[in-house]
Amino acid sequence: MSGHFEASSPVGRFVNSFEENAIALILGLMTLVTFVNVVLRYGFNTGLIWGLEATSYLFAWLVLFGMSYCVKTTSHLGVDALTALLAPSARKGVALVAGALCIAYAFLIAKGAWDYWAPFAGLDATTGRWFPSGIANSRDQAWYVTNDIPLPEFLRFLEGAMNQGEEYEKLPRFIPYVMLPIGAFLLLFRFVQATWWIAVGRSTTMIVSHEVEDEIEDAAKRVEGN
Amino acid sequence: MDVAILFAMIIGLLMLGVPIGVALGLSSTLFLLVLSDTSLASIAQSLFQAMAGHYTLLAIPFFILASSFMSTGGVAQRIIRFSIALVGHFRGGLAIAGVAACMMFAALSGSSPATVVAIGSIVIGGMRQAGYTKEFAAGVICNAGTLGILIPPSIVMVVYAAATDVSVGRMFLAGVIPGLMAGFMLMGAIYVIATVKDLPRGKWLGWGEIYASAADAVWGLLLIVIILGGIYGGVFTPTEAAAVAAIYAFLIASFVYRDMGPLAAREGQAQSNLLKKPYAVVTAFFHKDTRDTLFEAGKLTVTLMFIIANALILKHVLTDEQIPQAIASSMLDAGFGAVMFLVIVNVILLIGGQFMEPSGLIIIVAPLVFPIAIDLGIDPIHLGIIMVVNMEIGMITPPVGLNLFVTSGVAGMPVMGVVRAALPFLGILFIFLIMVTYIPILSTWLPTTFMGPEIIIK
Repeated sequence: MSGHFEASSPVGRFVNSFEENAIALILGLMTLVTFVNVVLRYGFNTGLIWGLEATSYLFAWLVLFGMSYCVKTTSHLGVDALTALLAPSARKGVALVAGALCIAYAFLIAKGAWDYWAPFAGLDATTGRWFPSGIANSRDQAWYVTNDIPLPEFLRFLEGAMNQGEEYEKLPRFIPYVMLPIGAFLLLFRFVQATWWIAVGRSTTMIVSHEVEDEIEDAAKRVEGN
Repeated sequence: MDVAILFAMIIGLLMLGVPIGVALGLSSTLFLLVLSDTSLASIAQSLFQAMAGHYTLLAIPFFILASSFMSTGGVAQRIIRFSIALVGHFRGGLAIAGVAACMMFAALSGSSPATVVAIGSIVIGGMRQAGYTKEFAAGVICNAGTLGILIPPSIVMVVYAAATDVSVGRMFLAGVIPGLMAGFMLMGAIYVIATVKDLPRGKWLGWGEIYASAADAVWGLLLIVIILGGIYGGVFTPTEAAAVAAIYAFLIASFVYRDMGPLAAREGQAQSNLLKKPYAVVTAFFHKDTRDTLFEAGKLTVTLMFIIANALILKHVLTDEQIPQAIASSMLDAGFGAVMFLVIVNVILLIGGQFMEPSGLIIIVAPLVFPIAIDLGIDPIHLGIIMVVNMEIGMITPPVGLNLFVTSGVAGMPVMGVVRAALPFLGILFIFLIMVTYIPILSTWLPTTFMGPEIIIK
C-alpha cells in the first residue's frame, strides 16, 4: 500500500473519504476538548466538566470505528517473518487461513458487542455462548446515563422514544456505546472483504510488518536524489 | 499447561500472518469461553473500556499527533542543520551529527522507525556525498534511531505505565540519563572508528551558524520542554501535556515554520505570512494538510490501540489465572534471584522484540513479569527502562529486527547488508543494556531526585 487508499467506484470513494474524515475529525475533537480544558483551568479557573468523559468516549469511537478502515487499507501490524519465506501459492493459502481466523474473531466480537449494547438500547441480547442461538429477554437498561455529559436539547425526543417519557438528566449510555456494535460489524464486513480480495488475487496479505511502510518509498527516493 | 497452549496459540497465529491484535484477542477469547464463565458481552465491554477506561493510554493519540505535526517537512532538516553546526567539525562529524539529530528527533517523536525514516532519509544521502560508505551511514542511523523509544516522550513508556500503573512522568524522567548515555556511547564509538579509519571531518562553521541554526530549531525543540516542564512543574497531567504538545506542534508547523497549511510554500509560490493572509488563522484548522496529518495520526493510533486493547483482554486472562504469581513462586522455589530473573527477562524480550511491534510486546510481557519483579524487590521504574532498552536492541537484532527492515528500505540496501553494518554498534548497545540492567541508579536517580522515592503498593 502506498499513501492513500484508492477506491475504484464513486461509492467507494465517498465511503473512503467519509472514513478518513471521521478519523481526522474524532482525533481533532479529542485534542481540542482536552486543550481547551487546560486553557479554561489556567486562564479562567473553570472547565468543561464533561470534557474528560467525552474525550474518553471519542477515543473509544476513534479506535472502534477506525479498526475496520485499517483492515480495508491493510494497515494492521503483524509478523511477516515466516510468511515472507513461503512460495506465492503457499502464501496465498496461509493468508486465506489467516483471513478465516480474523472472520471468526470479528464474528465473536460482533456477537459480544450486540449482547453488551442491546440492553442499554432497550433491545434484547442474543442467547448462546458461542453462536447466537435465540433471543434473550434482556432487562431494559435504557435509563442508564453517562456521568457528566449533558443531553443536547435536540435529543430530548429520546425521552419519549427510549425512556417511557421519563426525563434524561444526562446523555443516555446507549449513545456512546453504540460504536461498539457498529465498529464490530464493520470489522466483520471488512475482514470478509479482505479475505475475498486475497481469494481473487487483489491483495496478498492481511498485515504490514511496521508502521512506516508508506513512508519508506518516499524516504528511499530522497536518499537516491541526494 | 492451559497457559502454555494459550501462548503457543498466540505465536502460531502470529506466524500465520494474522494481525497481532486478532492473534491476541482471538486466543484470549477462546480461552475465556472454554475455561471460564466470562461471556462474549463482557469481552466486548473490555474492548470498549480499553480506550474509554484508561486515562493514561489517552496520551498515546496526542503524542502521535504532536510527532506527526513535527515530522511534516522541515523539522528534521532544521535539527540536522543544528547538529552539524555543533559537532560536524569533529572527525567523523557527519555521523556524530546524525546520532545527535536522532537524539533530538527522539525527543519530538515517540517511535523508533519514524526516527529512522525522518533523519535517515536526509543524513544517509548526505553522508554518502561527504565520502562515507553507505554501509557505515546505514549502520549508524539504524542504531541511533532506536533511541526514539528511550528518550522521552516515548509511546512505549506510556504503554508500560498503563500496563503496570506506574507514573508516566517517572518513566519519562527515568529515560533521560540512559537515553543521553546511549547516544554519547554511540558518538564515542564513531569518533574512535573515525580516527582509526581516517574518516572525513566537516568544516567548523563558526558560532554564528550555531546561533542561527539553534534559533531555527528551537521552536521544535521547545516541545520537549513543554512536555517535561509541564509534567514535572505540576502544570498538567501527561495526557494533557500530550494534547498541549499536539496543539503547539500544529501552531509551530502552520504559522512559524510554515511547512504545512495555508501559509506553506506551494509550487511557484513562496511561503506566505500572516500579514498577507490574516484569514489563515482560521483556515489553518480546516486546511487539507491539517486534515491529512490528523488522519495519519489517527490511523496510527488505531493500529497501535487495536493491539493494546486486545492485549488487555489477554492481561485479563493472565490476572484471572494468577499466572505471574505461579511463575514467581516456582522461580523463587528454584532459587532464582533477581539477577537470574533479569537475564530471563532480557532474553524473552530480545527474542520477542525482533518479531513484534514494541508497544504490543510490552503490554503482553509487562503484566507477566511485573508482579514477579516486585516480589524479587526490583524497582518498577528500573524494570520499565530495562524493558524499553531490550525492545530497542530487539529492533536491530538479526535476523528480523524491525529497524533493520526500515533502514534497509530507506537506504536502499539489502537487509543482510544493514545487519552487517549495524553489528559493531549493536555491540555497544549490548554493553549499554548490561549497564542499565545491573546499575539501577542510572534509571532511578533522576525520578527519585525530582519526584521523591518510589512507593510500591501491592
